[in-house]
Amino acid sequence: MDGTHSPLIPLSREDFIELYQSLGATLTGDEVTPKTLRVNPLATDESTLIKTLTAQGVDLEKIPFLDYGYRIISSPFSLGASIEYLLGHYFLQETASQLPAQLLAPSGEDNVLDMASAPGGKTTQMAAYMGNGGVITAVDVNRLRLYALENNLERMGVRNTVVYNMDSLDLPDEPMFTKILLDAPCSGNYVTDSRWFGKRKKAHIQHNFMMQRKLLTKAVSLLEKGGALLYSTCSLEPEENELNVQWLLENYDVKLGDIDAPGSPGVTEIFGDLLDESIKKCRRLWPNDVGTQGFFIARAVKQ
Amino acid sequence: MRLLRKFLIQVGSKYRPEDLLTINNKRFIEPVDARLPRDKMTYNGQYLGMNRKWFIPSNLLLQKLAKEEETKKAYVDRDAAWFFVVGRDIFEENIQRFEGDVKLGRYCLVMYGESCIGYGRYETSGSLRVVKNMFDVGDFLRRE
Repeated sequence: MDGTHSPLIPLSREDFIELYQSLGATLTGDEVTPKTLRVNPLATDESTLIKTLTAQGVDLEKIPFLDYGYRIISSPFSLGASIEYLLGHYFLQETASQLPAQLLAPSGEDNVLDMASAPGGKTTQMAAYMGNGGVITAVDVNRLRLYALENNLERMGVRNTVVYNMDSLDLPDEPMFTKILLDAPCSGNYVTDSRWFGKRKKAHIQHNFMMQRKLLTKAVSLLEKGGALLYSTCSLEPEENELNVQWLLENYDVKLGDIDAPGSPGVTEIFGDLLDESIKKCRRLWPNDVGTQGFFIARAVKQ
Repeated sequence: MRLLRKFLIQVGSKYRPEDLLTINNKRFIEPVDARLPRDKMTYNGQYLGMNRKWFIPSNLLLQKLAKEEETKKAYVDRDAAWFFVVGRDIFEENIQRFEGDVKLGRYCLVMYGESCIGYGRYETSGSLRVVKNMFDVGDFLRRE
C-alpha cells in the first residue's frame, strides 16, 4: 500500500488485497460466508430442534469447531421468520462471530462485561454458556441498537443480564468483572459488505484503531486480576488487530492466552516491524481459511 | 401491576410475581446485581412484559405459563400456529384440543406443542367460533 495515500480517499480493492497478501493471505477478495445458525440451549434441546427443522426440509450441517453452530445448506422458507426462530430456539449468527463467546467460555460463577453488546448475538450466547447464572452487564452507546438487543434477550430466554445505554468509555475505572468481551466497533470486512472496497478510507481505520485502544484501556481497568479479556474484530486491518495487541502488551500487564480455534496465527511481522512473538497465539481468520468472514481474536489475561 | 395481574387471572395462572422492577413501562422480576447508574439502565433480569391498552406478556412469561398445569390452553397444529403468529385469529375447527376451563368470552394461551405462541380470547365471529388473537410471538418481527 502506498504510504502517501490520502487518508480521505477510499483505498482501492487492489490496495487491500495486496496488503492482505503481504501478511500471508492467499485470498482473492471474492470470498463469501455461508448462512449459519446457533442453537439456543436455554430454549430448546439441540437434537429436537435439528430434527424439527430437518423434517421441514431444512438442510443443515454441523460446523465441527463450533459448540452449537450449523451451516444452512438450504431451506424452503426464511429461517428468520419461523416459529422456532420466534420462540428463540436458534439465532442466525455468522460462523466466526460465534467464536468469541465460545472462547471466553463464561460460567455461572462469572461477572461478565459485554462492552459493545448490541444487537446481542454474543450476549445471548454467553448467557447460554452461563446457564442464565452469574451476571452479564451489557453496554451499548446506541439506543436504537439496544432495542434489538432487548428483543433478542427476551426472545432467547435470557434472565441474567442488565443492560445500560451508555458509552463503555464512561464506565468507572474499577476492577469489577471476571471476564470481559470487547467485540470492538471496527472497519468491517468485504465478506459481509459487498460495497466495502468502495468506501473504506485510511481515515476510518485510523479513527477505529484509536477508539479501540481507548476501549482496551478501559477494559483492562475494569478487569479483575487473573480475569480474561476477549478482544475481537471483524476487520482484517493489522492496525485494528495485531498492532493493537502489541500496543496492549507494551502498555499493560497482560499476557496472551492460547486460543483453540481454526484460522491462522496472528501475524508478527507487519510493515517491516517485528511484533511480540506471543501474538502468534491470536487467531486471524482469513475469509479463505475456513469459510467465514474476516475476523481476529485475542485472549488476554490480566496479571 | 394491575394489568399484569388481570392477564394472569384471565389465563388461569396462579403465578403472582412480587417486587417488580419497572423500567420505561416494562416490568421485570429477579433483577441481577446492577453496579452502574440506574438512570442508564434499560433492562434487568427476567422481563415479564409491558402495559399497553392491555398487558403484553413477554416470551419469557409465556413459556413460564406454558409449563403451569392450571393455565387455560388451546393447542393448534403447525399450519394454524403459523397463521396465528402472523396475527390471524384461529377458527375452532383448527384447534386440536382445549385444556382447562376455556369458555366463550374467556382467554387462553395458544400452544404449539410444548411452546406458547401467544394468547387469545375464545369468542364468536358471526356464526363461527374463533380464538381471537390478542398477542403472538410474531410481534418480534413486527416491532423491529
